[in-house]
Amino acid sequence: MTPVISASRLTKRYGKDTFALREASFTVESGRIVGLIGPNGAGKTTALKAILGLLPVEGELRVLGMDPAAERERLMEQVSFIADVAVLPRWIRVSEAIDYVEGVHPRFSRAKCQAFLARTEIKPIRRVRELSKGMVAQLHLALVMAIDARLLVLDEPTLGLDILYRKQFYESLLGDYFDADKTILVTTHQVEEIEHILSDVLFIRDGRIVLDATMDAIGERFVEVMVGREQREAAIALGPVNERTAFGKHVFLFDAADPSRLAGLGEQRRPGLADIFVATMSRPAAPAGASA
Amino acid sequence: MSSSWNDHTPIYIQLRQRVVAMILDQSLQHGDALPSVRQVSAEFQLNPITVSKAYQQLADEGIVEKRRGMGMYVLDGARQTLLARERQRFLTEEWPALTRRLALLGFDLAELIARTTKPEESA
Repeated sequence: MTPVISASRLTKRYGKDTFALREASFTVESGRIVGLIGPNGAGKTTALKAILGLLPVEGELRVLGMDPAAERERLMEQVSFIADVAVLPRWIRVSEAIDYVEGVHPRFSRAKCQAFLARTEIKPIRRVRELSKGMVAQLHLALVMAIDARLLVLDEPTLGLDILYRKQFYESLLGDYFDADKTILVTTHQVEEIEHILSDVLFIRDGRIVLDATMDAIGERFVEVMVGREQREAAIALGPVNERTAFGKHVFLFDAADPSRLAGLGEQRRPGLADIFVATMSRPAAPAGASA
Repeated sequence: MSSSWNDHTPIYIQLRQRVVAMILDQSLQHGDALPSVRQVSAEFQLNPITVSKAYQQLADEGIVEKRRGMGMYVLDGARQTLLARERQRFLTEEWPALTRRLALLGFDLAELIARTTKPEESA
């Protein structure tokens, strides 16, 4: 089966030596929920724009077998996108928004959309400007989930929402939308919030993909060990990817270390994605030789 | 914001343990359906693959069975199977640890038993 997205050496350069993407290569398979995670300015939005055909980039890019820049219109029949929650026009009524999407999108189901909305407080007669930020997000999600698209792209979908709406957002996505024939690509800063939802993770830094793994592989690769002072040198000798201190102990993060050698060092735990993210992003950057 | 998972064990194993606990305390009985993968995935905000893995493990252990197109059901004798296994685990793992702890604290086993209310009294 062909992947939903295959990107090879994507590069986007502004001016002479400012890179938004630098030879970024990755593949997204069908039926996966993939998190694209990176600090501000790492290239997340540039990558998404390229995937949606909104921005020409260098390199090879195929989305559902199509070239997004050249075949954008055909591609958009199969791809949905939620950027910021506030892009619906403020004057539009809920019912008009439904009419509009039905008019422009061949794969939109009015019945599905209305069924989603029936479970919220949102009335069809309301205008977008009368809705709370959380309700606008619900409306947006209802419109998008009613589109039978193969790829859903979410760019910071829960930004600025309170915890109840955030939880509801992902609950709807998993309970009413996602299935093995659909694929979701999501970027967010709320790593803790989505880490258990993801099947795969891509870390992006300075336009480069610095980690590309399934969540299963992450669980097997990374181990955190609490080490006492007297064992610190022994731990460093095993090549940890990060060290921090907590309660007077040294906490080392190991990537693909030999479990038998870690066994005697101290108490172990499975680090969260946020721990791995911080460790990956705080490592010294790759040598700048490529651009110097 | 999701359920409290510990960071020592993979989540699918913790999910399996929750189902096992529900069968042991009989809130899930033989013939009962497990909630669908989709339902659990949405409720606990987990990837469906994680939920499927937990269910698959229970199926491999002979605790639940998959009925085509209907989902997972608790098998007859599931509780007995689990009880036997849990009893064995108690004897080999928990009891030795507990006796060591009792000895450490200087308790006399007979004395403790005498202090314990007999279960018949509350029945």
